[in-house]
Amino acid sequence: MTTIGCWIKYSDKISPFVRRINKKNMSYPYITRYFAFIISIFFVTLLNGTTANAQDGAALFNANCTSCHAVKEKVIGPALKGIEQRRSEEWLLKWIKNSQSVIKSGDEYAVKLFNDNNHTVMTSFNLKDDEIKAILAYVKTEAEKPDAVAVVPTTGDGQPTESKPIWPYLLIALIVLYLLSGVLRRVQETLAKAVRNRNNEPEPIPVPTKVRNREWIRNNKKLIALVLIGLTLIGSVKGWYDLQSIGISQGYTPDQPIKYSHKLHAGKLQIACIYCHSGAERGKVAGIPSANVCMNCHKYVRKGPESGTEEIAKIYKALDYDPDKGTYGTNPKPIQWVRVHNLPDFAYFNHSQHFVVGKIECQTCHGPVQDSMTVAGQYSLLTMGWCIDCHRRTPVKMEGNAYYDNLHKELKAKHPSDSTFTVEKIGGLECARCHY
Amino acid sequence: MEKKYWKGVEELRNDAEFVRLKNDEFYEPLPIDELINKKSEDITVTPRRDFLKFLGFSVAAASLAACEAPVRKTIPYLIRPDQITPGIANYYASSYFDGYDYASIVVKTREGRPIKIEGNLLSSVSKGKVNARVQAAVLSLYDNARLRGPMMGGSLASWADTDKAIGEKLASVASKGGKIRILSSTIISPSTLRAIGDFSKKYPSTKHIQFDAISFSAMRQSNLESFGVNAIPSYMFNKANVIVGIEADFLVNWISPVEYAAQYAETRKLDGGKKEMSRHFQLESALTVTGSNADMRMGVKPSQQGAMVAALYNAVAGKTGGSSISGANVEGENQKRIEIIAEALLSNKGKSLVVCGINDVAIQNIVNSINALLDNYGTTIDLTTTCNLRQGSDAELATLLSEVEKGEVGAILIYNCNPAYTLPNGKAFADSLKRIELSVYFGDRADETGSACQYICPDHHPLESWNDAEPKKGIYSFAQPTISPLFSTRSFAESMLNWAGAPADFHDYMKAGWESKLPAGISWEKLLQDGVLETTSSAASKFSSKASLSLPASSEKAGFEMVVYEKVGLGNGAQANNPWLQELPDPISKITWDNYLAVSPKDAREKGWSQGNIVSVKNGNASAKVPVVIQPGQTPGTVSLAVGYGRVGAGKTADKIGVNAYAFVAMVGNALSYSGPVEISKTVDEDYKFAATQTHHTMMGREIVKETTLEDYIKEPNSGNEPELFEVKAGKDIQKKPTEKVTLWNEFEFGDHHWGMSIDLNSCIGCGACVVACTAENNVSVVGKDEVRRSREMHWMRIDRYYSSDADPKEHEKGDLKLMEIPSDMPKVVFQPVMCQHCNHAPCETVCPVIATSHSSEGLNQMTYNRCVGTRYCANNCPYKVRRFNWFRYQDNAKFDFNMNNDLGKMVLNPDVVVRSRGVMEKCSMCVQRIQEGKLNAKKLGRPIKDGEINIACAQTCPTSAITFGDYKVQDSNLNKMWKPEERSYHLLGELDVQPNVFYNTKVRNVEAEKES
Repeated sequence: MTTIGCWIKYSDKISPFVRRINKKNMSYPYITRYFAFIISIFFVTLLNGTTANAQDGAALFNANCTSCHAVKEKVIGPALKGIEQRRSEEWLLKWIKNSQSVIKSGDEYAVKLFNDNNHTVMTSFNLKDDEIKAILAYVKTEAEKPDAVAVVPTTGDGQPTESKPIWPYLLIALIVLYLLSGVLRRVQETLAKAVRNRNNEPEPIPVPTKVRNREWIRNNKKLIALVLIGLTLIGSVKGWYDLQSIGISQGYTPDQPIKYSHKLHAGKLQIACIYCHSGAERGKVAGIPSANVCMNCHKYVRKGPESGTEEIAKIYKALDYDPDKGTYGTNPKPIQWVRVHNLPDFAYFNHSQHFVVGKIECQTCHGPVQDSMTVAGQYSLLTMGWCIDCHRRTPVKMEGNAYYDNLHKELKAKHPSDSTFTVEKIGGLECARCHY
Repeated sequence: MEKKYWKGVEELRNDAEFVRLKNDEFYEPLPIDELINKKSEDITVTPRRDFLKFLGFSVAAASLAACEAPVRKTIPYLIRPDQITPGIANYYASSYFDGYDYASIVVKTREGRPIKIEGNLLSSVSKGKVNARVQAAVLSLYDNARLRGPMMGGSLASWADTDKAIGEKLASVASKGGKIRILSSTIISPSTLRAIGDFSKKYPSTKHIQFDAISFSAMRQSNLESFGVNAIPSYMFNKANVIVGIEADFLVNWISPVEYAAQYAETRKLDGGKKEMSRHFQLESALTVTGSNADMRMGVKPSQQGAMVAALYNAVAGKTGGSSISGANVEGENQKRIEIIAEALLSNKGKSLVVCGINDVAIQNIVNSINALLDNYGTTIDLTTTCNLRQGSDAELATLLSEVEKGEVGAILIYNCNPAYTLPNGKAFADSLKRIELSVYFGDRADETGSACQYICPDHHPLESWNDAEPKKGIYSFAQPTISPLFSTRSFAESMLNWAGAPADFHDYMKAGWESKLPAGISWEKLLQDGVLETTSSAASKFSSKASLSLPASSEKAGFEMVVYEKVGLGNGAQANNPWLQELPDPISKITWDNYLAVSPKDAREKGWSQGNIVSVKNGNASAKVPVVIQPGQTPGTVSLAVGYGRVGAGKTADKIGVNAYAFVAMVGNALSYSGPVEISKTVDEDYKFAATQTHHTMMGREIVKETTLEDYIKEPNSGNEPELFEVKAGKDIQKKPTEKVTLWNEFEFGDHHWGMSIDLNSCIGCGACVVACTAENNVSVVGKDEVRRSREMHWMRIDRYYSSDADPKEHEKGDLKLMEIPSDMPKVVFQPVMCQHCNHAPCETVCPVIATSHSSEGLNQMTYNRCVGTRYCANNCPYKVRRFNWFRYQDNAKFDFNMNNDLGKMVLNPDVVVRSRGVMEKCSMCVQRIQEGKLNAKKLGRPIKDGEINIACAQTCPTSAITFGDYKVQDSNLNKMWKPEERSYHLLGELDVQPNVFYNTKVRNVEAEKES
């Protein structure tokens, strides 16, 4: 019951205009509901349809038809290849302008078509005859083209070439040096022996290595002590840092069951983060979108630029959805994603506190997801120190939020010289803000 | 003389065990020996190598465990239900009635799991309040002992097979003209009754018999005889200036206790400068919660109660022109008191109320006449808007039992009751069930009745089912499921409809029935959203009694009389497998996990019994061996035993605890009698150890309870709460200053809020609803009987129960309280809830070596579990003893096989509160998760927090609204309205000046009348 209230409460945020992401302005999610997105596409297409003067069939086709039709395969509506042979131009003009009237007139073909396609109503287009003809011409030329060979997708920007490790060279150099020193020593010994022979000096009694070593140690106490102290120091410091990194999984980027690319969706396609992670503005968890959110687009987008149909098919499989018939089966299986951000149980974190109240951009903690993350990974440290550092730095957005009015007045009175107050100042470092 | 308070006979006598407990909150040595598994003599030498081994191992283990972070899966919804946002709770209005407790509720669910029951504020019956048993019902939903599906001959079966088999048998019984009987507890659901009607149409030999485990049959019968109305009236305690309770525990158990407790508290509160309160007299044999709240309490043996009621009638009738009852011989002190009561009643004609819980028609007739003579019908008693919560008829039950006995019944369908347990001769009934051709049980487990029936068709839990309820005439409440059924269960009504040959979804059936009856402008959806529909009823009318009155039969004999009573925790025993209720300390005895024979101190002295002795109790029907508890306030010559224990087949938690007291109930004539003579003999001198919390966390005799009388309060609003003054040297003079002026500390600085709570001792009735609410909200662990014996209970709040009597304080100073023992037989009782006081100058905070406990700028004493290393310094330094140490990891530890140790029971956990681990301290957080949530909601909406918008679990559920939560920084907050240090408000141990954010208001007793005597 209450959620219905919430739904109504939020519906005022729905705007018919798609607010494109721009990096500076990421945190203003005007689009929060999927149908708003769909409606906006519809409006945009309609607008384009009525004003375009271009006789370019390709442009018209892309603007008006592609959300439901492809030339060679079925999307929502049937494949258009050979349409000019199947139906007369006159019929097509009528159909495209108002398909429902054709159906109502009792046209046998139209009724059958409507029934075959799950009674999906085709949008009526206010196009001029010339424009429709241009589209049909474009469809014809496209249909005659040979099937494109599937191109293996490549990522445009060059991956940084992995530098080859240098330790094998070092090892070889060391061995060479060792051998070289051995040879030199031999040479030196031979020469010394030769000198002794010439001067008829006696062979020195060989000192055992053990004694020699002991002798060396006795003579170099200071050096040894220094080295030992140095090693201990290095060891401790290294150990300290290693211990500190225990439990930190910065950079953790596990393989996921579906190769979902944030770079493609949030970057190239500029879908707002909040469109999928809608929990972030409402509650504690941002949430992994349920598969029905994917289907808002992927009901239509059946082929991706990177993995083709393979990965999208996994969504269909999970939902037991038949893309050709547009029907859902009875055997859905949930997708088991691997959790990337694992905050311990004793730390309470609430997305909406930071995103809605604090107006923090997603990227502040999650990094440039849209630029570089093909697969999501943990960008930040997520340690308590990291949280606290930010709470010490970040001013609270008090303006325009009546909750803070009183507090702001009090703080102003206490600290007249300050204009902004950090989270720390309002008790943001206290234990029970996050631990309870 | 000064009043002295003590917590139990142990303190009074200063037993060695009590002294040890009071001085050492954590007296047990660390069980290192057990852990290392070596004999203690081997450990006298420090095992340095072992120590190093352990150290090395634990470092390695810790780092290994830390390095290998497990891969955690996260599985989102495939298609998210539009009402659910992960992390946000949903609330659904519903109703709870289990044949015993009724409440209109709001169920809090998280990701589809009900995790907390709260009250529905729209209901005029329960008014947004919920008692301990209804609070705990959410855990009963996740009871692992529930059946997974229908049972046929002791093994799981499918519904189709069960229906087929039952259908065939029903047909066979019907064809032979056999009697079909439906035996149930009170049913208040109009739709369920309609379904039973449909079933009866198909099988006309069906008869529906209702009976209540604790019967109110005599009351209905009496109302029929007196006024021609076979019903229980609505009582309006709030309109009464004088309340007389006779063996009726109306604050916690009697008919509709949540409703009555709220009404009662209304007459007791002194908020806003009110200078008058009701006067409450109680006549009872055992000390009940209601009796302990009374201004004047009389201990009366059950056999004398009839005469007392008759004497009261005579005293009232003498002044109002009624005919008197002859033979009511009450003499001496009792007669004097009866006259005082009668006088109080007569001076408040039309504004008084006499209620009686004795299941005896003759006594009820007299009580009805008293109320009628006092013109109470139409003002404090409403016989027009009748109460439907108890409809059982003992006469019909008796008929059924004889029919069963004679083998006349062909089929019996048992719904929402457990006759094999609750009937006096339950075992015999269970045996005769086996001789019936068809026996079906609708309970959720194979318990006493279930195991004796051929078929078990488990009904849904109330939180899983659609339902409607009519608790009072014209007042409806609706139940909607808050989770889909966990197991293959089916609602009783659906089963009935199915067998009636018209299978229907109960929701559709119920909706169809309602849609024609809905008032204009109210849709079905609106109905479910509100949860209640209250049609205006006609005004209560006046009645005069036409019953003929006679002196009730008395069965007084030499020897002991036993009273069978209900406890606050288990009630009638239906929820006995609920660990929260088992661990809830009884408000009076403070004993958990047990029933026992309460005896009076006088009898104990005379018979030479001591606490924990095991005695053998016997009456005509039954015998049992039970441990003795010496209960101050118990009427000499009586003993009492609680029902709800001694279960068989109810589940791991319930079974093997205590004895079944229903066996001592007798069918006298056609009425169940809950008292009667018993023979008691001491068997073994064994010392039974109770898991009692009464002497745990004691305040060492320091004065933390403050009370006064109404008379004194009117004269001097701060009577009993005189400020504590300290002698301070100022130059050469010695000045007396209030404690807060004598401090070493700086003033504490507050931020945006300053949270606090107030507790009104005058309205606290000690019912324990807050304790269970706190347990549910904060994932408090259940520790079990053994651990409670070691004073390791985890409850974040306790309700201290203090006895008091006037005695010579000088004796106390000598350390000998024995002389107080004699006046202590009938002590006064005070209840005081104590939880973390959230001190601004907290002693615990200064001693923590790791700063795991610290103060927030909002006045909260914060406990950071992940920082705590378990030194327990804080607990040792806490003057209130409110900190609890986790001795074990109570979850996932087979030794604590309660709800937190199975996947099902864990579903009740509140995901917003950490489940604490072993070795850390915990304590009341003032529901900081609710505060944070409330603040965030306000911030998101960009508005200040409204006073009352945030409420804490204990305050929210408190039936008497004794607890108020709020913000000191909001000038006109409800909290600030309660804070009147110049009148009744005080801090616990104010002389310490630890500046708690929790304060108390003194208890005021309306005892003027007694003084005059």
